[in-house]
Amino acid sequence: MTSVPLVSVFSADDSSKVTAKHIPLPAVFQTPIRPDIVSFVHTNIAKNRRQAHAVNPQAGMQHSAESWGTGRAVARIPRVSGSGTHRSGQAAFGNQCRKGRMSLPIKVWRRWHRRVNIKQKRHAAATAVAATGIVPLVLARGHRISQVPQIPLVVEDKIESYEKTTDALNFLKRFGAFEDVQKVVSTKVVRAGISKQRGKKYRVRKGPLVVYFNENAKLLKAFRNVPGVEVVNVTRLNLLQLAPGGQLGRFVIWTQSAFAHLDKLFGTYRYTSIIKDGYQLLRPLITNPDLARIINSNQVQEKVQPAKTTKVLHEVQKKNPLKNSKAMDRLNPYAKKQRAAAVAAIKANTKGTKKIKKNKALKKASRAAYNKVAASLNDATKAAVQEEQDIKVKYFSVQKGAAQTE
Amino acid sequence: MQIDEVVWQVINRGHCSFKIKTISQNFCRNEYNVTGLCSKQSCPLANSQYATIKEEKGLCYLYVKTAERAQKPKELWEKILLSKNYEQALAQIDEQLKYWSNFMIHKNKQRLTKLRQMLIRIRKMRLKGFKELIPIKKKAERRDKIREQKALVAANLENAIEQELIDRLKNGVYNEIMNYNTKAFEKVVGQNQMEDEEEREQQELEEEEEDYSDEELIFDPNDLEEDDEEDQDDEEDDQRLFQKQTFNQLRRENDEIKDIKKKKPRVQLQYEEEEEVEDRKKQQIAF
Repeated sequence: MTSVPLVSVFSADDSSKVTAKHIPLPAVFQTPIRPDIVSFVHTNIAKNRRQAHAVNPQAGMQHSAESWGTGRAVARIPRVSGSGTHRSGQAAFGNQCRKGRMSLPIKVWRRWHRRVNIKQKRHAAATAVAATGIVPLVLARGHRISQVPQIPLVVEDKIESYEKTTDALNFLKRFGAFEDVQKVVSTKVVRAGISKQRGKKYRVRKGPLVVYFNENAKLLKAFRNVPGVEVVNVTRLNLLQLAPGGQLGRFVIWTQSAFAHLDKLFGTYRYTSIIKDGYQLLRPLITNPDLARIINSNQVQEKVQPAKTTKVLHEVQKKNPLKNSKAMDRLNPYAKKQRAAAVAAIKANTKGTKKIKKNKALKKASRAAYNKVAASLNDATKAAVQEEQDIKVKYFSVQKGAAQTE
Repeated sequence: MQIDEVVWQVINRGHCSFKIKTISQNFCRNEYNVTGLCSKQSCPLANSQYATIKEEKGLCYLYVKTAERAQKPKELWEKILLSKNYEQALAQIDEQLKYWSNFMIHKNKQRLTKLRQMLIRIRKMRLKGFKELIPIKKKAERRDKIREQKALVAANLENAIEQELIDRLKNGVYNEIMNYNTKAFEKVVGQNQMEDEEEREQQELEEEEEDYSDEELIFDPNDLEEDDEEDQDDEEDDQRLFQKQTFNQLRRENDEIKDIKKKKPRVQLQYEEEEEVEDRKKQQIAF
């Protein structure tokens, strides 16, 4: 359904060799991917490892402080009794006060752990396992798996007998898993914050998860010192390891026997699980999740009504048909022809008449005549002006003379 | 094909390590992404059938991914070398991605074009060279500027040039009599005077030392009388001396000022003998 139903088992010594060619994929890998279930279960299960802690119940309360009451021009908060020190008369007890106790101090009997329905937990685990078999999800989570020959990576049981870390490292290198380990090494950072001082100095990424089956396997010791690598038995698969941070798609390396055990562990769609008593794998709501394909398929399109076009009732902006010819045409389709006819009529009327050519000689002559007239006018005005001035002079001189005589 | 929808929902809604969110857009850091944007069509993870163009050492390759190889990350991407000829490369893309979605074909061609343009630009820059932008370091610039100024002052360029010219003069590079700055001339003369007088002073000191060892310092009235007679006769000489002294005084003052500027130790001299005038005349002729 979702992934390749056949898987190859690789030889531990040589990544190009395949010891078992086609093993059917356990049904777990075909469970629907449900990030919502995983997220819910993860947030709750993550709380289960917490240790109780509390604030000292006496913290901030070790005073015989009493409120001074009203009438003293101070706030009514309890104040430290006594004298002779700065502390006396200062506010105490309240969460708002300096050196006061916190509001709702943490108690040891806080509900630290959460119970989750077993079914939900199992569904989450199953989904997480399924997601480890989907390459894009593993890539999106950030694992460097571009050189891994196959996902899910199943290797023969030989690696369970590895005792030396060098063997483990070489194995990882052979199968392209070392790039992921390198990523872990290069991104090891000193943690920000106080947890540094509380035993969590470094922030380390998650590398590959190696899953084995046989309880006597020594590979735990071989792999445990490789940074980022975690080793776990199939029977104790942990959601917190399969989907760290609630994120689906951990890079998992299975041993052959572990891989084979998954069917017994989770059951199939035909049979319920043997080990998880009565557990049936989650069935998907839709068998084919490709909605686009379904909608565009012939069977659906046949039954579907044709798409409704949006009706335009009126223009967004009103156009005046008397000015806008297109708007006019919309109202009166004949208007176009009328206009054309009018234009043709004008043309017809003016067909015989010649176009008046501009006569240059005429133009020159007319211009000369104009200039002549203008010049004469000019002279006339000048003469008039001169005359007036003369009169003025005469008048004033006469005046003067008159004045003098007087 | 079937799982793509689910993958996209999980990646987009949940967390994808390649996604980069900005205020306006989402980008995809995946090396195989055709457009560089985070969208369902261009997500190399959410599409089991995908193609990209990648450039390696000046050559463009078409990387193709199909659903058949989805479970084998090592063999996932098929690498096809594209022709160096642009049009042939486009034809190759058309051929390899035949019947694929238009989006995929179009984006691949676009990417090819972009990469080729980039390669052309690289080649051009290598051949023609390019202006390398270097950032201005304010602090360093400021520091160097001030140091340059200080160095300029410390170099005493004018004095160095002066000395050089004087040396040349002495060496006889300039044979003819030349017109030059009176101040400079007098300064040089003064210098020469000082040099000679220094020598003479040393000699005087030596002489004086000798004298003191031999003579007794006894007051003799006869000597006084002799001095008076000498004074009367030497009035004219005295006048000349006086003139010279005032002149020398002025020069000395001038030199003093200069020395103050130079901050050199000032050599105090006493002009007593007449020989100096002759010497000066000699030097004048020499010039």
